[in-house]
Amino acid sequence: MAEDRLTPEQEARRLYEEAETRVAKAAERVVSRDSFGELLAMATENVVAVTRISFDALDLVWSNLRLAGRRDITRLTRQLGRTEDKLEHVLQEVERLRDEVERQNGAPASATRAAKADGAKPTAAGSATRRRSQRSSAP
Amino acid sequence: MNALERIARSPIAALEFANIVLTERDAQIAVTPKDVVWTHRTTTLYRYRSANRTYAVPVLLVFALINRPDIFDLRAGHSFVEFLLDEGYDVFLLDWGVPDEADADLGLEHYVCDEIPSALREVRRVSGQEEATLLGWCIGGTLSLLHCALQPGTTVRNLVLLTTPIDTTASLYTSWVARDSFDVDRVAEVYGSVPGRTVDWANKLMKPVSNYWTTYRRLWLQVLDGDARPDAYQAMAKWVADNPPFPGRAYREWITWMYKENRLVRGRMRLRERRADLSAVEQNLLVVTAGADHIAPRQGTLPVLDLVGSADVTHLDRPGGHIGLMAGSKARKEVWPDIAEWLDERSHA
Repeated sequence: MAEDRLTPEQEARRLYEEAETRVAKAAERVVSRDSFGELLAMATENVVAVTRISFDALDLVWSNLRLAGRRDITRLTRQLGRTEDKLEHVLQEVERLRDEVERQNGAPASATRAAKADGAKPTAAGSATRRRSQRSSAP
Repeated sequence: MNALERIARSPIAALEFANIVLTERDAQIAVTPKDVVWTHRTTTLYRYRSANRTYAVPVLLVFALINRPDIFDLRAGHSFVEFLLDEGYDVFLLDWGVPDEADADLGLEHYVCDEIPSALREVRRVSGQEEATLLGWCIGGTLSLLHCALQPGTTVRNLVLLTTPIDTTASLYTSWVARDSFDVDRVAEVYGSVPGRTVDWANKLMKPVSNYWTTYRRLWLQVLDGDARPDAYQAMAKWVADNPPFPGRAYREWITWMYKENRLVRGRMRLRERRADLSAVEQNLLVVTAGADHIAPRQGTLPVLDLVGSADVTHLDRPGGHIGLMAGSKARKEVWPDIAEWLDERSHA
Protein backbone atom coordinates (compact mmCIF):
# COMPACT_ATOMS: atom_id res chain seq x y z
CA MET A 1 0.00 0.00 0.00
CA ALA A 2 2.77 2.35 1.02
CA GLU A 3 4.52 1.72 -2.32
CA ASP A 4 1.42 2.88 -4.21
CA ARG A 5 1.28 6.13 -2.32
CA LEU A 6 2.52 9.13 -4.29
CA THR A 7 5.21 11.35 -2.86
CA PRO A 8 4.22 15.02 -2.37
CA GLU A 9 6.29 15.91 -5.43
CA GLN A 10 4.58 13.28 -7.58
CA GLU A 11 1.22 14.38 -6.30
CA ALA A 12 2.03 18.01 -7.15
CA ARG A 13 3.12 16.97 -10.65
CA ARG A 14 -0.08 14.96 -11.14
CA LEU A 15 -2.22 17.89 -10.07
CA TYR A 16 -0.30 20.25 -12.32
CA GLU A 17 -0.67 17.95 -15.35
CA GLU A 18 -4.37 17.60 -14.65
CA ALA A 19 -4.74 21.38 -14.56
CA GLU A 20 -2.70 21.77 -17.74
CA THR A 21 -4.87 19.24 -19.55
CA ARG A 22 -7.97 21.17 -18.52
CA VAL A 23 -6.48 24.46 -19.68
CA ALA A 24 -5.45 22.85 -22.99
CA LYS A 25 -8.99 21.57 -23.57
CA ALA A 26 -10.46 24.94 -22.65
CA ALA A 27 -8.08 26.67 -25.08
CA GLU A 28 -9.09 24.25 -27.85
CA ARG A 29 -12.74 25.04 -27.15
CA VAL A 30 -11.97 28.76 -27.37
CA VAL A 31 -10.19 28.52 -30.73
CA SER A 32 -13.00 26.41 -32.19
CA ARG A 33 -15.62 29.08 -31.42
CA ASP A 34 -17.21 31.06 -34.17
CA SER A 35 -16.28 34.33 -32.50
CA PHE A 36 -12.61 33.32 -32.42
CA GLY A 37 -12.77 32.61 -36.17
CA GLU A 38 -14.21 36.07 -36.72
CA LEU A 39 -11.49 37.62 -34.58
CA LEU A 40 -8.82 35.73 -36.48
CA ALA A 41 -10.24 36.84 -39.84
CA MET A 42 -10.25 40.48 -38.72
CA ALA A 43 -6.72 40.25 -37.32
CA THR A 44 -5.55 38.66 -40.58
CA GLU A 45 -7.14 41.44 -42.60
CA ASN A 46 -5.37 44.09 -40.49
CA VAL A 47 -1.99 42.38 -40.76
CA VAL A 48 -2.43 42.00 -44.52
CA ALA A 49 -3.39 45.67 -44.87
CA VAL A 50 -0.36 46.85 -42.87
CA THR A 51 1.90 44.55 -44.91
CA ARG A 52 0.49 45.94 -48.14
CA ILE A 53 1.08 49.54 -47.04
CA SER A 54 4.66 48.68 -46.01
CA PHE A 55 5.38 46.87 -49.29
CA ASP A 56 3.96 49.72 -51.36
CA ALA A 57 5.90 52.36 -49.44
CA LEU A 58 9.16 50.42 -49.71
CA ASP A 59 8.62 49.81 -53.42
CA LEU A 60 7.99 53.51 -53.96
CA VAL A 61 11.20 54.49 -52.17
CA TRP A 62 13.14 51.86 -54.07
CA SER A 63 11.82 52.78 -57.50
CA ASN A 64 12.51 56.50 -56.83
CA LEU A 65 16.10 55.53 -56.13
CA ARG A 66 16.04 53.92 -59.60
CA LEU A 67 17.04 50.53 -58.18
CA ALA A 68 15.58 47.18 -59.20
CA GLY A 69 12.91 46.40 -56.63
CA ARG A 70 11.00 43.36 -55.46
CA ARG A 71 8.53 43.55 -58.31
CA ASP A 72 11.22 43.81 -60.96
CA ILE A 73 13.06 40.79 -59.63
CA THR A 74 9.81 38.82 -59.35
CA ARG A 75 8.93 39.71 -62.94
CA LEU A 76 12.31 38.53 -64.16
CA THR A 77 12.19 35.30 -62.16
CA ARG A 78 8.70 34.57 -63.50
CA GLN A 79 10.00 35.00 -67.01
CA LEU A 80 12.75 32.51 -66.22
CA GLY A 81 10.14 30.12 -64.82
CA ARG A 82 8.08 30.35 -67.98
CA THR A 83 11.17 29.67 -70.09
CA GLU A 84 11.93 26.62 -67.95
CA ASP A 85 8.36 25.39 -68.47
CA LYS A 86 8.78 25.64 -72.22
CA LEU A 87 12.16 23.90 -72.10
CA GLU A 88 10.66 21.09 -70.03
CA HIS A 89 7.91 20.59 -72.62
CA VAL A 90 10.48 20.46 -75.42
CA LEU A 91 12.61 17.95 -73.49
CA GLN A 92 9.63 15.73 -72.80
CA GLU A 93 8.66 15.82 -76.45
CA VAL A 94 12.22 14.95 -77.52
CA GLU A 95 12.27 12.03 -75.11
CA ARG A 96 8.89 10.82 -76.34
CA LEU A 97 10.10 10.94 -79.94
CA ARG A 98 13.33 9.16 -79.03
CA ASP A 99 11.35 6.38 -77.35
CA GLU A 100 9.23 6.11 -80.46
CA VAL A 101 12.29 5.83 -82.68
CA GLU A 102 13.78 3.18 -80.40
CA ARG A 103 10.53 1.24 -80.52
CA GLN A 104 10.44 1.43 -84.32
CA ASN A 105 14.05 0.21 -84.44
CA GLY A 106 13.02 -2.88 -82.55
CA ALA A 107 14.44 -2.13 -79.10
CA PRO A 108 11.61 -2.16 -76.55
CA ALA A 109 11.56 1.20 -74.78
CA SER A 110 11.19 -0.36 -71.34
CA ALA A 111 14.25 -2.54 -71.91
CA THR A 112 16.28 0.47 -72.93
CA ARG A 113 15.07 2.35 -69.89
CA ALA A 114 15.92 -0.53 -67.59
CA ALA A 115 19.40 -0.74 -69.11
CA LYS A 116 19.91 2.95 -68.43
CA ALA A 117 18.65 2.55 -64.90
CA ASP A 118 21.32 -0.09 -64.35
CA GLY A 119 24.00 2.30 -65.54
CA ALA A 120 24.34 1.15 -69.16
CA LYS A 121 25.67 3.64 -71.67
CA PRO A 122 22.76 5.66 -73.02
CA THR A 123 22.11 5.61 -76.73
CA ALA A 124 20.93 9.18 -77.15
CA ALA A 125 23.11 11.94 -75.82
CA GLY A 126 20.51 14.65 -75.12
CA SER A 127 18.57 13.04 -72.34
CA ALA A 128 21.60 11.46 -70.71
CA THR A 129 23.43 14.79 -70.58
CA ARG A 130 20.40 16.36 -69.01
CA ARG A 131 20.32 13.82 -66.23
CA ARG A 132 24.06 13.85 -65.65
CA SER A 133 24.04 17.61 -65.27
CA GLN A 134 21.32 17.37 -62.66
CA ARG A 135 22.74 14.45 -60.80
CA SER A 136 24.25 15.37 -57.51
CA SER A 137 24.57 13.59 -54.24
CA ALA A 138 22.31 14.54 -51.44
CA PRO A 139 22.80 15.21 -48.65
CA MET B 1 15.74 11.50 -7.50
CA ASN B 2 14.30 13.39 -4.54
CA ALA B 3 13.16 16.99 -4.48
CA LEU B 4 16.45 18.33 -3.14
CA GLU B 5 18.49 16.51 -5.75
CA ARG B 6 16.15 17.83 -8.39
CA ILE B 7 16.61 21.41 -7.21
CA ALA B 8 20.39 20.94 -7.13
CA ARG B 9 20.29 19.63 -10.70
CA SER B 10 18.14 22.49 -12.00
CA PRO B 11 20.97 24.84 -13.13
CA ILE B 12 22.65 22.08 -15.15
CA ALA B 13 19.28 20.99 -16.50
CA ALA B 14 18.52 24.58 -17.50
CA LEU B 15 21.75 24.74 -19.47
CA GLU B 16 21.06 21.40 -21.13
CA PHE B 17 17.48 22.42 -21.94
CA ALA B 18 18.64 25.70 -23.49
CA ASN B 19 21.31 23.86 -25.45
CA ILE B 20 18.77 21.40 -26.89
CA VAL B 21 16.37 24.16 -27.89
CA LEU B 22 19.01 26.55 -29.24
CA THR B 23 20.86 23.93 -31.31
CA GLU B 24 17.82 22.23 -32.81
CA ARG B 25 18.65 23.65 -36.24
CA ASP B 26 21.89 21.64 -36.23
CA ALA B 27 19.99 18.35 -36.07
CA GLN B 28 20.77 15.94 -38.88
CA ILE B 29 17.58 15.05 -40.71
CA ALA B 30 16.87 13.47 -44.10
CA VAL B 31 20.29 11.83 -44.21
CA THR B 32 19.53 8.75 -46.30
CA PRO B 33 21.68 9.05 -49.46
CA LYS B 34 19.75 10.00 -52.56
CA ASP B 35 20.32 11.25 -56.08
CA VAL B 36 18.58 13.95 -58.07
CA VAL B 37 16.69 12.41 -60.96
CA TRP B 38 14.78 15.37 -62.33
CA THR B 39 14.17 19.02 -61.56
CA HIS B 40 11.63 21.54 -62.78
CA ARG B 41 11.24 25.00 -61.28
CA THR B 42 11.21 24.42 -57.52
CA THR B 43 10.36 20.71 -57.78
CA THR B 44 12.99 17.98 -57.44
CA LEU B 45 12.57 14.25 -57.86
CA TYR B 46 14.99 12.15 -55.82
CA ARG B 47 15.77 8.46 -55.93
CA TYR B 48 17.17 6.85 -52.80
CA ARG B 49 20.24 4.67 -53.24
CA SER B 50 19.73 1.01 -52.57
CA ALA B 51 21.35 -2.32 -53.38
CA ASN B 52 18.27 -4.17 -52.24
CA ARG B 53 15.51 -3.53 -54.78
CA THR B 54 13.44 -6.68 -54.72
CA TYR B 55 9.97 -5.35 -55.50
CA ALA B 56 9.10 -4.53 -59.10
CA VAL B 57 6.83 -1.56 -58.42
CA PRO B 58 8.67 1.57 -57.23
CA VAL B 59 7.20 3.88 -54.59
CA LEU B 60 6.84 7.62 -55.21
CA LEU B 61 6.42 9.68 -52.02
CA VAL B 62 4.49 12.96 -52.23
CA PHE B 63 4.26 15.34 -49.30
CA ALA B 64 2.12 18.41 -48.61
CA LEU B 65 2.75 21.96 -49.81
CA ILE B 66 3.36 23.00 -46.22
CA ASN B 67 6.49 21.85 -44.36
CA ARG B 68 9.19 19.81 -46.05
CA PRO B 69 9.11 16.15 -47.12
CA ASP B 70 12.07 15.42 -44.79
CA ILE B 71 9.50 13.90 -42.42
CA PHE B 72 9.55 10.77 -44.61
CA ASP B 73 13.23 10.39 -43.70
CA LEU B 74 13.38 12.06 -40.30
CA ARG B 75 16.48 10.52 -38.73
CA ALA B 76 18.51 7.35 -38.91
CA GLY B 77 16.63 4.48 -37.29
CA HIS B 78 13.34 6.39 -37.45
CA SER B 79 12.95 6.88 -41.16
CA PHE B 80 10.05 5.60 -43.26
CA VAL B 81 12.30 5.82 -46.33
CA GLU B 82 14.96 3.70 -44.62
CA PHE B 83 12.26 1.20 -43.66
CA LEU B 84 10.96 0.93 -47.26
CA LEU B 85 14.51 0.54 -48.60
CA ASP B 86 15.18 -2.26 -46.09
CA GLU B 87 11.97 -3.94 -47.21
CA GLY B 88 13.28 -3.92 -50.78
CA TYR B 89 11.41 -1.06 -52.45
CA ASP B 90 12.77 1.34 -55.03
CA VAL B 91 11.92 4.66 -53.35
CA PHE B 92 11.50 8.04 -55.04
CA LEU B 93 10.66 11.33 -53.35
CA LEU B 94 8.94 14.31 -54.92
CA ASP B 95 10.15 17.47 -53.18
CA TRP B 96 8.17 20.64 -53.96
CA GLY B 97 11.13 22.78 -52.89
CA VAL B 98 10.89 26.27 -51.46
CA PRO B 99 8.70 28.50 -53.63
CA ASP B 100 9.07 32.25 -53.42
CA GLU B 101 7.17 35.27 -54.67
CA ALA B 102 8.04 34.47 -58.27
CA ASP B 103 6.15 31.18 -57.89
CA ALA B 104 2.98 32.89 -56.71
CA ASP B 105 1.30 32.01 -60.02
CA LEU B 106 1.60 28.26 -59.44
CA GLY B 107 -1.84 26.80 -58.85
CA LEU B 108 -2.98 23.33 -57.84
CA GLU B 109 -3.07 22.36 -61.50
CA HIS B 110 0.71 22.91 -61.69
CA TYR B 111 1.23 20.23 -59.06
CA VAL B 112 -1.51 17.84 -60.14
CA CYS B 113 -1.41 18.16 -63.94
CA ASP B 114 2.28 18.95 -64.52
CA GLU B 115 4.58 17.92 -61.70
CA ILE B 116 3.10 14.60 -60.56
CA PRO B 117 2.68 13.25 -64.13
CA SER B 118 6.21 14.39 -65.03
CA ALA B 119 7.62 12.80 -61.89
CA LEU B 120 5.81 9.53 -62.64
CA ARG B 121 7.16 9.67 -66.15
CA GLU B 122 10.71 10.06 -64.83
CA VAL B 123 10.16 7.26 -62.30
CA ARG B 124 9.10 5.03 -65.20
CA ARG B 125 12.13 5.98 -67.27
CA VAL B 126 14.67 5.59 -64.48
CA SER B 127 13.30 2.43 -62.87
CA GLY B 128 12.34 0.76 -66.14
CA GLN B 129 9.00 -0.19 -64.58
CA GLU B 130 5.71 0.65 -66.20
CA GLU B 131 3.76 1.13 -62.96
CA ALA B 132 4.37 2.79 -59.61
CA THR B 133 2.88 3.21 -56.16
CA LEU B 134 1.90 6.79 -55.34
CA LEU B 135 2.00 7.51 -51.61
CA GLY B 136 0.65 10.91 -50.59
CA TRP B 137 0.57 12.43 -47.14
CA CYS B 138 -1.82 15.24 -46.10
CA ILE B 139 -2.23 17.70 -49.02
CA GLY B 140 0.15 15.42 -50.93
CA GLY B 141 -2.54 12.74 -50.64
CA THR B 142 -5.20 15.05 -52.04
CA LEU B 143 -2.93 16.03 -54.93
CA SER B 144 -2.19 12.35 -55.63
CA LEU B 145 -5.89 11.49 -55.53
CA LEU B 146 -6.67 14.36 -57.91
CA HIS B 147 -4.02 13.10 -60.30
CA CYS B 148 -5.58 9.63 -60.37
CA ALA B 149 -9.06 11.13 -60.80
CA LEU B 150 -8.01 13.35 -63.69
CA GLN B 151 -5.83 10.84 -65.52
CA PRO B 152 -7.55 7.46 -65.65
CA GLY B 153 -4.72 6.13 -67.85
CA THR B 154 -2.03 6.99 -65.30
CA THR B 155 0.75 4.53 -64.53
CA VAL B 156 -0.18 4.47 -60.83
CA ARG B 157 -1.01 0.93 -59.74
CA ASN B 158 -1.36 1.53 -56.00
CA LEU B 159 -2.50 4.69 -54.28
CA VAL B 160 -1.77 5.22 -50.58
CA LEU B 161 -3.35 8.17 -48.79
CA LEU B 162 -2.05 9.11 -45.35
CA THR B 163 -4.12 11.48 -43.19
CA THR B 164 -5.56 13.16 -46.26
CA PRO B 165 -8.22 15.91 -46.18
CA ILE B 166 -11.16 15.03 -48.45
CA ASP B 167 -14.37 16.35 -46.88
CA THR B 168 -13.58 19.49 -44.88
CA THR B 169 -17.04 20.09 -43.41
CA ALA B 170 -16.08 19.28 -39.82
CA SER B 171 -12.58 20.72 -39.95
CA LEU B 172 -11.55 23.51 -37.60
CA TYR B 173 -9.90 25.20 -40.57
CA THR B 174 -13.33 25.51 -42.15
CA SER B 175 -14.64 27.51 -39.20
CA TRP B 176 -11.62 29.82 -39.53
CA VAL B 177 -11.23 30.34 -43.25
CA ALA B 178 -14.58 29.48 -44.83
CA ARG B 179 -16.23 32.66 -43.51
CA ASP B 180 -16.73 35.62 -45.85
CA SER B 181 -14.69 37.90 -43.59
CA PHE B 182 -11.56 35.85 -44.31
CA ASP B 183 -10.45 37.34 -47.62
CA VAL B 184 -8.16 34.67 -49.03
CA ASP B 185 -7.77 36.54 -52.33
CA ARG B 186 -6.32 39.55 -50.58
CA VAL B 187 -3.93 37.42 -48.50
CA ALA B 188 -2.65 35.68 -51.64
CA GLU B 189 -2.42 38.92 -53.59
CA VAL B 190 -0.46 40.86 -50.96
CA TYR B 191 1.98 38.14 -49.98
CA GLY B 192 2.44 36.53 -53.37
CA SER B 193 3.50 33.36 -51.63
CA VAL B 194 1.97 33.02 -48.18
CA PRO B 195 4.76 32.88 -45.55
CA GLY B 196 5.20 29.37 -44.19
CA ARG B 197 5.41 30.73 -40.64
CA THR B 198 1.83 31.99 -40.96
CA VAL B 199 0.56 28.58 -41.97
CA ASP B 200 2.58 26.96 -39.18
CA TRP B 201 1.22 29.47 -36.68
CA ALA B 202 -2.35 28.62 -37.72
CA ASN B 203 -1.63 24.90 -37.39
CA LYS B 204 -0.21 25.36 -33.92
CA LEU B 205 -3.09 27.58 -32.89
CA MET B 206 -5.44 24.62 -33.21
CA LYS B 207 -3.88 23.17 -30.04
CA PRO B 208 -2.26 26.24 -28.50
CA VAL B 209 -1.36 24.90 -25.07
CA SER B 210 0.03 21.60 -26.36
CA ASN B 211 2.12 23.25 -29.06
CA TYR B 212 3.36 26.36 -27.30
CA TRP B 213 3.75 25.08 -23.75
CA THR B 214 3.38 21.34 -23.13
CA THR B 215 6.06 20.39 -25.66
CA TYR B 216 8.67 22.49 -23.83
CA ARG B 217 7.42 21.56 -20.37
CA ARG B 218 7.75 17.84 -21.21
CA LEU B 219 11.24 18.38 -22.59
CA TRP B 220 12.20 20.25 -19.41
CA LEU B 221 10.99 17.40 -17.21
CA GLN B 222 12.82 14.84 -19.35
CA VAL B 223 16.02 16.85 -19.06
CA LEU B 224 15.52 17.23 -15.31
CA ASP B 225 14.91 13.48 -14.93
CA GLY B 226 17.95 12.75 -17.10
CA ASP B 227 16.01 10.80 -19.71
CA ALA B 228 15.75 13.37 -22.52
CA ARG B 229 16.44 12.21 -26.07
CA PRO B 230 17.86 15.35 -27.71
CA ASP B 231 18.23 13.74 -31.15
CA ALA B 232 14.55 12.78 -31.29
CA TYR B 233 13.34 16.16 -30.03
CA GLN B 234 15.65 18.20 -32.21
CA ALA B 235 14.90 16.27 -35.40
CA MET B 236 11.17 16.81 -35.00
CA ALA B 237 11.56 20.44 -33.85
CA LYS B 238 13.76 21.24 -36.82
CA TRP B 239 11.26 19.72 -39.24
CA VAL B 240 8.32 21.54 -37.61
CA ALA B 241 10.14 24.89 -37.84
CA ASP B 242 11.03 24.49 -41.51
CA ASN B 243 8.07 26.11 -43.26
CA PRO B 244 8.38 26.95 -46.95
CA PRO B 245 5.98 29.55 -48.35
CA PHE B 246 2.69 28.39 -49.89
CA PRO B 247 2.43 29.69 -53.50
CA GLY B 248 -0.31 32.35 -53.51
CA ARG B 249 -2.48 30.91 -56.26
CA ALA B 250 -2.29 27.37 -54.89
CA TYR B 251 -3.13 28.72 -51.42
CA ARG B 252 -6.14 30.63 -52.75
CA GLU B 253 -7.39 27.59 -54.65
CA TRP B 254 -6.79 25.22 -51.75
CA ILE B 255 -8.65 27.40 -49.24
CA THR B 256 -11.47 28.33 -51.61
CA TRP B 257 -12.06 25.01 -53.29
CA MET B 258 -11.42 22.71 -50.34
CA TYR B 259 -12.62 24.75 -47.35
CA LYS B 260 -14.99 27.43 -48.58
CA GLU B 261 -16.69 25.32 -51.28
CA ASN B 262 -15.74 21.74 -50.32
CA ARG B 263 -15.54 20.90 -54.02
CA LEU B 264 -13.80 17.55 -53.89
CA VAL B 265 -16.59 15.58 -52.23
CA ARG B 266 -19.23 17.53 -54.13
CA GLY B 267 -17.69 16.45 -57.42
CA ARG B 268 -17.09 20.02 -58.49
CA MET B 269 -13.30 20.17 -58.47
CA ARG B 270 -12.08 21.17 -61.92
CA LEU B 271 -8.48 21.52 -63.05
CA ARG B 272 -7.59 22.56 -66.59
CA GLU B 273 -11.23 22.34 -67.65
CA ARG B 274 -11.49 18.74 -66.50
CA ARG B 275 -13.64 17.60 -63.62
CA ALA B 276 -11.94 15.49 -60.98
CA ASP B 277 -14.28 12.52 -60.86
CA LEU B 278 -13.30 10.39 -57.89
CA SER B 279 -15.28 7.45 -59.27
CA ALA B 280 -12.65 7.33 -62.03
CA VAL B 281 -10.01 6.37 -59.43
CA GLU B 282 -9.52 2.65 -59.96
CA GLN B 283 -6.15 2.06 -58.34
CA ASN B 284 -5.68 -0.29 -55.42
CA LEU B 285 -6.33 2.10 -52.58
CA LEU B 286 -5.02 2.18 -49.03
CA VAL B 287 -6.36 4.92 -46.78
CA VAL B 288 -4.63 5.46 -43.43
CA THR B 289 -6.30 7.68 -40.83
CA ALA B 290 -5.17 8.76 -37.37
CA GLY B 291 -7.61 8.65 -34.47
CA ALA B 292 -6.36 11.89 -32.89
CA ASP B 293 -5.77 13.84 -36.11
CA HIS B 294 -6.97 17.44 -35.64
CA ILE B 295 -5.62 18.73 -38.97
CA ALA B 296 -7.25 16.16 -41.26
CA PRO B 297 -9.81 14.52 -38.96
CA ARG B 298 -10.66 10.90 -39.69
CA GLN B 299 -14.31 11.65 -40.50
CA GLY B 300 -13.10 14.08 -43.16
CA THR B 301 -11.06 11.38 -44.91
CA LEU B 302 -13.48 8.46 -44.74
CA PRO B 303 -15.84 9.67 -47.54
CA VAL B 304 -13.14 8.82 -50.07
CA LEU B 305 -13.77 5.12 -49.40
CA ASP B 306 -17.25 5.41 -50.92
CA LEU B 307 -16.42 7.90 -53.64
CA VAL B 308 -13.66 6.07 -55.50
CA GLY B 309 -14.26 3.43 -58.14
CA SER B 310 -11.48 1.12 -56.88
CA ALA B 311 -12.33 -2.53 -56.42
CA ASP B 312 -9.53 -2.97 -53.90
CA VAL B 313 -9.97 -0.53 -51.01
CA THR B 314 -8.37 -0.91 -47.58
CA HIS B 315 -8.73 1.37 -44.59
CA LEU B 316 -6.33 1.37 -41.66
CA ASP B 317 -7.20 3.42 -38.62
CA ARG B 318 -4.42 3.84 -36.10
CA PRO B 319 -3.97 5.85 -32.92
CA GLY B 320 -1.90 9.01 -33.18
CA GLY B 321 -1.98 12.49 -34.58
CA HIS B 322 -1.60 13.95 -38.04
CA ILE B 323 2.20 13.63 -38.03
CA GLY B 324 2.71 11.28 -35.09
CA LEU B 325 0.93 8.54 -37.03
CA MET B 326 3.90 8.12 -39.36
CA ALA B 327 6.72 9.84 -37.50
CA GLY B 328 5.92 9.01 -33.88
CA SER B 329 7.88 6.55 -31.77
CA LYS B 330 5.30 3.79 -32.32
CA ALA B 331 5.01 4.20 -36.09
CA ARG B 332 7.84 1.78 -36.86
CA LYS B 333 6.08 -1.07 -35.08
CA GLU B 334 2.41 -0.20 -35.45
CA VAL B 335 1.94 1.55 -38.79
CA TRP B 336 4.83 1.01 -41.22
CA PRO B 337 4.66 -2.82 -41.16
CA ASP B 338 0.94 -2.69 -42.02
CA ILE B 339 1.63 -0.41 -44.99
CA ALA B 340 4.50 -2.67 -46.09
CA GLU B 341 2.27 -5.73 -45.82
CA TRP B 342 -0.38 -4.05 -47.97
CA LEU B 343 2.20 -3.00 -50.54
CA ASP B 344 3.83 -6.44 -50.55
CA GLU B 345 0.74 -8.05 -52.05
CA ARG B 346 0.46 -5.40 -54.75
CA SER B 347 4.04 -4.63 -55.76
CA HIS B 348 5.11 -7.66 -57.77
CA ALA B 349 5.59 -7.61 -61.53
